[in-house]
Amino acid sequence: MADLQHDLRPIAAIDDLDDLAEPYPDERVTAAPSYEPVPDPDDAPLTRAHAILAAHPVADGYNGLPWALRRLSCYDLELGERTVETDVPRLRGGHVGALFWSLHLPEGFDGDRAVGATLEQLDRAVNIARTCDEGLRLTVTAGQVADARNRGRVAVLLGPAGAPALGDSLGILRQLHLLGLRALTLTGVSWASDAGLTRFGEEVVREMNRLGVIADLSGASEQTLRRVLSLSRAPVLCGRSAARALRPHPVNLSDDLLAELGAAKGLCLVPLSAEQTGPSVRDVADHLDHVRAVAGAQCVGLSGTYDSGSAHPQELVDASCYPRLIAELLRRGWEESDVALLTWGNMQRVLRGADFTARAVQQRREPSTATISELDA
Amino acid sequence: MTSLEAARELLREFPVADGHNDLPWALREQVRYDLDARDVATDQSAHLHTDIPRLRAGGVGAQYWSVYVRTDSPDPVAATLEQVDCVRQLLARYPEHLRPALTAADLEAARREGRIASLMGAEGGHSIANSLGTLRGLYGLGVRYLTLTHNDNVDWADSATDQPRAGGLTAFGREVVREMNRLGMLVDLSHVAATTMRDALDTSTAPVIFSHSSARAVCDHPRNVPDDVLERLPANGGIAMVTFVPKFVLQAAVDWTAAADENMRAHGFHHLDTTPEAMKVHRAFEERHPRPVATVSTVADHLDHMREAAGVDHLGIGGDYDGTAFTPDGLDDVSGYPNLVAELLDRGWSKADLAKLTWKNAVRVLDAAEDVARGLQATRPPSNATIESLDAPAG
Repeated sequence: MADLQHDLRPIAAIDDLDDLAEPYPDERVTAAPSYEPVPDPDDAPLTRAHAILAAHPVADGYNGLPWALRRLSCYDLELGERTVETDVPRLRGGHVGALFWSLHLPEGFDGDRAVGATLEQLDRAVNIARTCDEGLRLTVTAGQVADARNRGRVAVLLGPAGAPALGDSLGILRQLHLLGLRALTLTGVSWASDAGLTRFGEEVVREMNRLGVIADLSGASEQTLRRVLSLSRAPVLCGRSAARALRPHPVNLSDDLLAELGAAKGLCLVPLSAEQTGPSVRDVADHLDHVRAVAGAQCVGLSGTYDSGSAHPQELVDASCYPRLIAELLRRGWEESDVALLTWGNMQRVLRGADFTARAVQQRREPSTATISELDA
Repeated sequence: MTSLEAARELLREFPVADGHNDLPWALREQVRYDLDARDVATDQSAHLHTDIPRLRAGGVGAQYWSVYVRTDSPDPVAATLEQVDCVRQLLARYPEHLRPALTAADLEAARREGRIASLMGAEGGHSIANSLGTLRGLYGLGVRYLTLTHNDNVDWADSATDQPRAGGLTAFGREVVREMNRLGMLVDLSHVAATTMRDALDTSTAPVIFSHSSARAVCDHPRNVPDDVLERLPANGGIAMVTFVPKFVLQAAVDWTAAADENMRAHGFHHLDTTPEAMKVHRAFEERHPRPVATVSTVADHLDHMREAAGVDHLGIGGDYDGTAFTPDGLDDVSGYPNLVAELLDRGWSKADLAKLTWKNAVRVLDAAEDVARGLQATRPPSNATIESLDAPAG
């Protein structure tokens, strides 16, 4: 103890620094510019985009690779697989740091077929990720996503699955969560319809909060969306929604809903889908501008929708193209801080929010044993 | 010391690792998983064969909980997941008594801790809906055996109690067995046709189990294991876990059940019909023809024979509690195992042999399956075979 006090004494000398006779020379005080100035005005934003993305990679909210690979008997994602839109080299080229793999449910699947198909999709996704563990890392929590990034891997999260995957059962929701499911799209079931959430639907949302499964509301009815926004204690996603004010696609969100989503600190992930945003990178940027303006910079993110069957804007044909989009935003004057939120920060906030909510709710709530027949009779 | 005291002492060291208990199904059917309505930490003898006090009294140290669902269920996969959820809720609710177990090491850890190792087994290939991805999903959720069929055939395997169709396992059925080997999921041959048993033994590179089956030579019922199959267990390394169900183990009960079923059909009911009208017909029959009663000795007769046919290293116990309406006298519920061990002591079984019967063989089999899986996983990726590709009709 005495030694410690003795050691502390010289620190008082630091005060002497205030009395420096001469200030540092100018060149040492001025912070170096963040990015190298580039003479070519068209090239500068792209260079900056790469630099920003290197620090704040893309967390891509929707990618359909597992389903797209189902017909390929042989593929190599680590060396590159040109028959699909996503592989490890292009993910790295596009500075993708995390991506959600959607668990595609074929049209019309419900009941046991939907449950079984989702188990198969989870299995396929897990096996694909395991075959390229140099490039990809399966993750469940926000902490694991950060960890994967620190190890130079692209974090893979499983979801969204379609709500029919639950087979109308909270027990099944819990098992899908155990198998890694992190997001669920609340459409296409009796308990989340145009009429909104039923009582069972509300219990599903509470149980999702308890588990840390994020609600995806793209394609959900307005009533469902509003009810989940008020009910969910964790932030929600609209995993594939652009601005309806710019393009009247049914899954795009009206300004009212965008504002409500923003007020609830949810996240609107703008899809790189020509059908929803328009055919060019400028169209996508228009949507991002609009969503940022209406919902707020903390409530906008990106969904590549690669390998999900949608046509992409010309300059954004695969997972390597994100720098072009970011360059366009920089040309429009987006601050680095807003770009960082768009690509990475907002999604991390939502993931952490889901984890935090789950831990908090698990202290208070037992697993729900409610059934659809008792709640929605 | 009486043999019963000696049996209890033995079970304290090497408790029963039981292959099959239908508590989850009983909880689903009786109270729709309302675990408050059936608090198994307290006496539930009014409703169930199984609760924790009686498991303790019975010297049970490990239990494969069956996540059985009916073969005619419209949603067998979904229902199986709900059954798995039920087991997980039980584990979460009674952590001081039940220990989640996935491996042989977990079984031994549970024994050291004095908790009941809890494993899961799925009862019937219908639970995987012809999908190896779904099979892997069940493994991922902790299911450690799959009975290849229940009472009805599946598309890829014949059941003991259905009309022969595949003649054993189809090509896809053999792929299911291989994939189970690769995963480390035990191949359970209870309920399957003898042809399926033989095909599975030909295919499996890991030890198989019979989670709840007795000896056909002692009591001729299709649910029991024929001698030629028992005799193959030493080479395979597997185990046959003797079951107590009277209508499988006692010839008089087999005959009585056949007559009772015939009576039901004669009155225009399905033989498993439990509607009030059907039960009335059944009770009237039972009044005229008293139901034969099996005893501890009946089950011991099976074990004596199975020891001769398969060897003491290839036996186990699978009571099928809460999966059967009737139980033998002395083995009325899960507290009865010491009576069986005492009977075997009286018949001259050594303590070393009884330790194998109750505990050691079951642990060894799971350990061996894990070993095989490690080897296969190093050389083989998950199988993506489909039933369409392997079992396409000829031409």
